[in-house]
Amino acid sequence: MSQLVNDQVKLDLLKFGVRDWNDCFNCGNCSAICKLTEEGFLFPRKVIKQAQLGLKDSMVANLDPWLCYYCGECSESCPRDANPAEIMMSMRRYLTSLYDWTGLSRKFYTSKFWEVGVVLTFFMLVLAAFAIFLPPNRDMFSNPANFINSQGGVMINSLVAGISADQFVKIIEWSDWIMAIIIGGILISNIIRMFILSILRDKKYKVPFYAYFTEAWSLIYHFVTQNKFYHCDRRKYWFGHFLLMSGYTMMFIFIVAMLKRFQTEEVYAWYHWQRLLGYYATFGILFFLGIATYQRIIKKDYKFKYSHASDWLFIVMLGLTTISGIVLHFFRLSGIPVTTYFTYVIHMAILVPMIVIEVPFSKWSHLAYRPFAIYLYRLKKKARTEMVIQNSLATV
Amino acid sequence: MINPRSSAIFFGSMFNGSADSLRQEDVVVELHKVIETGPVWNEKTVPVYDPAAMAKQIRNLQVKRILVAGHNVGFYKTFLTKSMLMAGLDIQDVVLLNFREYGIFKKSSAPFAASVIICGLFGVDLSSVYPPEEAPVHAATLVIGGGIAGIQAALEIGNSKNKVYLVEKSGTIGGHMAMFDKTFPTLDCAACILTPKMVEVGQHANIEILTNSMISFISGKAGNFTVRVLKKARRVSLSACIGCGTCAEKCPRTAPSEFDAATTLRKAIYIPFPQAVPNKYLIDPEHCTYVENGKCGVCVKVCPVPGCINLDEEDHEVEFAVGNIIIATGFKTFDARRIENYGYGKFPNVLTSLEFERLLNASGPTGGMIKFRSKDKKGNWVFSPENEEPKSIAFIHCIGSRDEHYNKYCSRVCCMYSLKMAHLAREKLPEASIYEYFIDMRAYGKGYEEFYERVKKEGIHIQRGKAARVLPSGDKLFIRTEDIEGQKIVWQEVDMVILSVGLEPSEGYEWLSEMLGIPVDEYGWYVESNYLNNPVDTHVSGIHIAGTCQGPKDIPDTVAQASAAASRVLQSIIKGKINRPIKDVYPEEIIPRLKRMIEKKEEVL
Repeated sequence: MSQLVNDQVKLDLLKFGVRDWNDCFNCGNCSAICKLTEEGFLFPRKVIKQAQLGLKDSMVANLDPWLCYYCGECSESCPRDANPAEIMMSMRRYLTSLYDWTGLSRKFYTSKFWEVGVVLTFFMLVLAAFAIFLPPNRDMFSNPANFINSQGGVMINSLVAGISADQFVKIIEWSDWIMAIIIGGILISNIIRMFILSILRDKKYKVPFYAYFTEAWSLIYHFVTQNKFYHCDRRKYWFGHFLLMSGYTMMFIFIVAMLKRFQTEEVYAWYHWQRLLGYYATFGILFFLGIATYQRIIKKDYKFKYSHASDWLFIVMLGLTTISGIVLHFFRLSGIPVTTYFTYVIHMAILVPMIVIEVPFSKWSHLAYRPFAIYLYRLKKKARTEMVIQNSLATV
Repeated sequence: MINPRSSAIFFGSMFNGSADSLRQEDVVVELHKVIETGPVWNEKTVPVYDPAAMAKQIRNLQVKRILVAGHNVGFYKTFLTKSMLMAGLDIQDVVLLNFREYGIFKKSSAPFAASVIICGLFGVDLSSVYPPEEAPVHAATLVIGGGIAGIQAALEIGNSKNKVYLVEKSGTIGGHMAMFDKTFPTLDCAACILTPKMVEVGQHANIEILTNSMISFISGKAGNFTVRVLKKARRVSLSACIGCGTCAEKCPRTAPSEFDAATTLRKAIYIPFPQAVPNKYLIDPEHCTYVENGKCGVCVKVCPVPGCINLDEEDHEVEFAVGNIIIATGFKTFDARRIENYGYGKFPNVLTSLEFERLLNASGPTGGMIKFRSKDKKGNWVFSPENEEPKSIAFIHCIGSRDEHYNKYCSRVCCMYSLKMAHLAREKLPEASIYEYFIDMRAYGKGYEEFYERVKKEGIHIQRGKAARVLPSGDKLFIRTEDIEGQKIVWQEVDMVILSVGLEPSEGYEWLSEMLGIPVDEYGWYVESNYLNNPVDTHVSGIHIAGTCQGPKDIPDTVAQASAAASRVLQSIIKGKINRPIKDVYPEEIIPRLKRMIEKKEEVL
């Protein structure tokens, strides 16, 4: 199997966060120290070697970067300080930009101007949408008491002028669904491209047909548990990641699928399951954010030593969303309708760009790519065992 | 007359790894206090790889001469002469001022660096303004360090009927080489080469050995140094001791043996090893009960020679004059405890290469048999001949070398000594599986590659890929590596792991370098005055270096360098005179002198 050498791909990856490819002298320490490597899936060294040699086709078909959860152990013990873990992270960014047919992902990863610009644009768009279509009810300036329910909280859905509470929830819910469908569509089409690039175009592996079905369970299993990360040496990272993932997913389900039950006029008691789950999610996200921000600032731990612009944008956007959400909750409970309305608008204006940009095109997209990559990796593994069996049969 | 303003100054790199290394700004400040110069350039401010653009700049700024100052001036010569040619100027006007030659390294030498440049601006060499003074040479020589380098240098000088003082920190001369079993690549017995030399030094009429001694102060200049040496109390008379060993038999205290790399125990009164020179007992004050609390004195009671052991002896200083000094302080091995992934210090059968060398040695703890480490009755981990033999041994290369976190340099000897040990282990355990995990195999010397090929054919599994960690499982150890050529991950089960530790400068190098004014590089190796054509001299006239204190090297290189250093010393002794170059001239002093010189010259013209 031959392929053209493309030495430009090395230079291209410098934009995605790789510092220097030449640091690595291929001693194999990183692959050996990693608990997740196995025969046939030797990363990070092999990925780096492919880049050093300029084997672009191999790099594109390679799913190994998705098998890495970035515990940083390889970077810590790398004798050349070549930072293999960050190279794997950069490879994931690069692969994301390759899977994405719109080309936006590449723009966001390689240009801060684009990334921040689009965030600000969406921020303004949401503000404008509220100002034009969902302006505040003037009544609440003069008679705030009219907007307070029996529990003393703000009736959050009645703050908009001209429409009823039911209509307001419906509008938000419909917009949610439209956004979710567009994002989901882009993600699914990108996953199909990932499948084509890494399985169909990779002639080394012939995946047996039955495996597509027998391995499907791994998709859900790894999405929910991140079981591979659990097997890394540093379990604390898995714990933080799990808190964030579960909290974020829960919130996502609340605001998209269950908005009607989540954004209600009455205020539930604190021990209501919905409020408790919401608090859990908030705690999970805040816990993760606190540690990630602190560690990225002190730059001591190898996992957080090198921060790409997209890492910071992720932290800032998620942080602002969470903080504005907490503030909103606080104002709502205190029964101040005017501030509640404006905080709600700001909360939405931060939340929407975060989801629109990060989920399909940037850092959040790994929530779809990674479980799917593990599914594809299991297919490749099945193909590999099948091949070994056939080879041994042939020799017999 | 040359106009200083028409000369540009190009600064090469001057960074030597330490924070107080000389910087361009420091020199320029000193320079501009006293004189106006042309433009000041460096690698970042001019187009270094584009002579055409540079030539344009030279013409635009009306530069007539370029002075290249710094530590690697030759590097820029081709580029600058090319640019000068393209600018239509004389290539003779590119003047190289190598700061290394003047011993300028630190920030504090900025005024001196400025003086060198000022001389360059006027087209005069510093040595013609301040000619080096010639001084008579004292015929005696001091050699610091009694390893193979020190022994070789002392013998070379001593054999030419000149006095040598050989100062050694431990109780015997011999150094690391005495601990080795065989030497690579010829597999000669190390002791068979070294011990005759040690005996020769010990009996030499011109060589005075000062063991158990430390340099306490050195003053003076080339040709006439005054050396004060602290002779630590040996507490056993060198002349009276007959070496019978009765004292050690009865001595109640034990301590880890330095000679056996702490794999066995010795007594508090001991001979470092049977072939030690001088072959007399000494007392280790850190472990002697009498020194600690004044009780015991068993050795005095059992000693058959009256007055031989004097437990109350005190340290004393001796002072003597020498003309030249050879530093041969050698190395220490990397402390493998610093890398936790290999579990050295935690798992008893993870050994350093020096410990394994002692195991292989017939004079070692097991009489040359490879055995497991076990606990003795008192709870110390030691090797003893009664233990079982390992069935598989793995060597891990590059421990503490070629590693950005520890030492960046290659220690040069580890690949070869690992191969040698693998060969010896194969000889002693023909049934055992032996593994080597390397990054790159550096078999660079005469006969080394052939030795590598030979070891490969002896059924030793040599695998490319650095071992990442060693984990215990019951009595066994597991090594995880990537087999890079076989493209797989290997969990290798072995009985014993040998860590091929790298070399580091021996302790106390900072102090010595500070006192003598010899710079060390970022790792602590002494800097030679010129790596290519003067590797045994330092920047201080009359002080020479030999062996691993200059950088990691194997025994043949060490011996060669020791002989070379001795030849430099003999050169000055035979001539009877030594040059003392001028150091630390301030720009204020040099300018009037220069002006006078130039005026005189113009009168003559």
